[in-house]
Amino acid sequence: MQQENNFSESRRDFIKNLFIGGGVTLALGNLSFTFFDSEKGIEKKVIICDFSKCTGCRTCETSCVAYNFATQDGFETYGIVNPKNANIRVNKFNPDLDIPATCAGCPDTPCINACPINVDRKTGEKALYLNKLTGAISVNVEECIGCGKCAKACETERVGVIRQNQESGKPEGLCTYCDGDPSCVKNCPYGALSYVKVDTNYEFFGKSPEQIAGILTERYYK
Amino acid sequence: MEDIFGILLDINLTTRKTENIYISKRDIELFVGGRGLAMKVLYDRIKPGLDPFSEDNPLIFMSGTFSGLPIPSSSRTCVVTKSPLTSPKKSIFEKASTVSYSNIGGFFGPEIKFAGYEGIVITGKSPFPVYIKIEDNEVKIKDAGDFWGMKTDEFDNAFKKELGDNNFQTCYIGPAGEKKVAYASILHTAGRAAGRGGVGAVMGSKNLKAIAVKGTGMPNVKNPKEFNNLANKARAYFKGREATKYWREEGTAGALKSSSDKGSMAVKNYREGTFEQIENYDAKASREKIWKRDYACYQCQLSCKKSGVVVEGRFKGTIVHDSPEYETGTMVGSNLMLTEINDVMKAIYDGDDYGIDIISLGNTIGFLIEAKEKELIDINFLDGIDLKWNDIDSILSMIKKIADRDGIGDLASKGVKVLSEKIGKGSEKFAIHVKGQSLAAWNVHVNPGTGISYTTSNRGACHLNGGDVDRQNANALKDSLAICFFATGWGGFDTNQLIEFVNAITGSSWDENSFKKAGERIFNLEKMINIREGFTAEDDVLPERFYTEALSSGPKKGAILNRDEFAEKLLEYYKSRDWDISSSKPSEKKLKELSLDFLI
Ligand code: SF4
Repeated sequence: MQQENNFSESRRDFIKNLFIGGGVTLALGNLSFTFFDSEKGIEKKVIICDFSKCTGCRTCETSCVAYNFATQDGFETYGIVNPKNANIRVNKFNPDLDIPATCAGCPDTPCINACPINVDRKTGEKALYLNKLTGAISVNVEECIGCGKCAKACETERVGVIRQNQESGKPEGLCTYCDGDPSCVKNCPYGALSYVKVDTNYEFFGKSPEQIAGILTERYYK
Repeated sequence: MEDIFGILLDINLTTRKTENIYISKRDIELFVGGRGLAMKVLYDRIKPGLDPFSEDNPLIFMSGTFSGLPIPSSSRTCVVTKSPLTSPKKSIFEKASTVSYSNIGGFFGPEIKFAGYEGIVITGKSPFPVYIKIEDNEVKIKDAGDFWGMKTDEFDNAFKKELGDNNFQTCYIGPAGEKKVAYASILHTAGRAAGRGGVGAVMGSKNLKAIAVKGTGMPNVKNPKEFNNLANKARAYFKGREATKYWREEGTAGALKSSSDKGSMAVKNYREGTFEQIENYDAKASREKIWKRDYACYQCQLSCKKSGVVVEGRFKGTIVHDSPEYETGTMVGSNLMLTEINDVMKAIYDGDDYGIDIISLGNTIGFLIEAKEKELIDINFLDGIDLKWNDIDSILSMIKKIADRDGIGDLASKGVKVLSEKIGKGSEKFAIHVKGQSLAAWNVHVNPGTGISYTTSNRGACHLNGGDVDRQNANALKDSLAICFFATGWGGFDTNQLIEFVNAITGSSWDENSFKKAGERIFNLEKMINIREGFTAEDDVLPERFYTEALSSGPKKGAILNRDEFAEKLLEYYKSRDWDISSSKPSEKKLKELSLDFLI
């Protein structure tokens, strides 16, 4: 794709590109994979890492922020970003291990279950909800009270990717899947990341970086 | 808003005061960042002859122009101070020494930038062990009593726990730094070290165990759009290149075999240049027996670092953070004639764990073994240690002695120059140092260029200095930009690419000439600090060994350095630098040309 290695093609550019020229079919084709529709049985995709290939370079973090926060305070960031704002976070361990972590796409959504704010009684939609278009766990920022229950649930039960905004307490760090073409996956210089269907049988599904590091330390360093 | 050209975080451990110091536009323009800017700070702050362990000696952690930006391999942090290891032949100052700079890869420099600074300048001395915790503009000096004495590998994890947040980047010393071993290192991520020139000892002299930094900001870029185009191109640039594959597969360990084959390796205290058993622990053997994964520094595509574990024998379970590298594998490997891979891994591990520069460590122990073999010293001199070639037990005992500065270890902790002066009896002929700094893992017999690199380096014998004027200037600048040498040599960025980045980031309009001049300016500033201390051309000398003892084995058997030819080469060097051939001082004309008038 022509966008390869392009960090800061913004979300807006992406949508724009959808409607110009020959990219449409391809891009729409890509997009369709991320439609989350449990009734039709289309499965959700998430980002997973081949830990034997990951080197901990943190290019995934910077490319994530470049795409998902292409503008800040009204200014374009042009890829000049702080990696700690990323929705994928590379956790480092000693003995040397690098464990990139993102939302695992848990079908049973413990984060949403923990959210105490019901927004729509009919549909059961909460302040934290599953965006059916993108497949991403999303925050209704208007309704969210920043209680942090989702973050706690994710941390105690699964990967622990949800962070609370320092000021508002509202959840951050949720993977957006970059409109179906995750920036981290295409920019990883080592080909360590892939975008695949959620598989709860996968060895590392839903595990925290600490748990994964424990397993890999046994495997590599004993 | 007025333009800000960068902030230095100034921390005084005596008064416990911290202050933001605004860097002048002129200093940034002239000295760029990293090594260059830190040298200017050092020059401004120290009086000639200052005791390196005095409170006034600043310990400077400087990021570079590229730090914190998504440029491949722009991860380096430069640690600068006045060296406690080096010394001139004579000087009016008792504590005269060279500048010291030592680089680390990893993630520290970028994080300094994210916290809003160009660099951190630490002076003073705490009355008790402390660590510094920096979160953006919040700076805390905290008690490190519980950690004092802790070795680096354990501390790396213990400190993370103490901080309670893995987002901090940390630099720290081990017991050797605490005890002021003159060639103690500073470590980062357990497997990365600013090894050379005793930066860890200066940190220890301040009672400073560690620094942690974390920031929420981003670096400033003048032309972000242009920068972004360049960065996108740069990331694609490394894909699939031969050099990229090489670094990923072999790392610097790839040079173990090739250097041995060329006769340019340090073997048996530099007596030889080829080591027959190198295949026991070259890159191929390490890949088979030790390495489990490759890892990289911030935004780097080369992943030259290799971690693993010793899987058999008495050192089974020893973690290998990053070894062998070429330098470490040679200096405690072939230089001490070790033949077994696991022994080499253990020696490197212990050296790093205590926080000692492995290069100086292997060099010093090699010297002691040779002195004992030649019966200039005996086993009593070594406190009963029967130090021998290829004898891991005696080598490990000596490493511990040095780290503890216990008995003979105290003398050995001052480096090979002091040691040979004490022993006398002609031992200085095989004390392999320049200005008190141990030579690194490249032998000189077959390669006079390396000799130029060692003799003319401003930090004493340095293999990264460069074998000619152009390379030296370019390297000084790369250390100032924070770009890794491995990404700028063979198969990496060319000068033009670096210049484009500089211009996009700083808004200046550098051409190749400005690039060269900036590096030359930095190099000459360092030189002038050394001149002020009393160094002259008399200090730019190689150990006698290379002129008098030809290699006695290997494919380069018979190779020897020709004294006259080398002297001629050095003379040419001075001339092309426009330095005086006896004082080695840069001419006034040169200083003016480089806008260094203030040094006249
Ligand atoms: S970009 Fe790839 S190799 Fe680098 S840290 Fe992320 S997953 Fe690992």
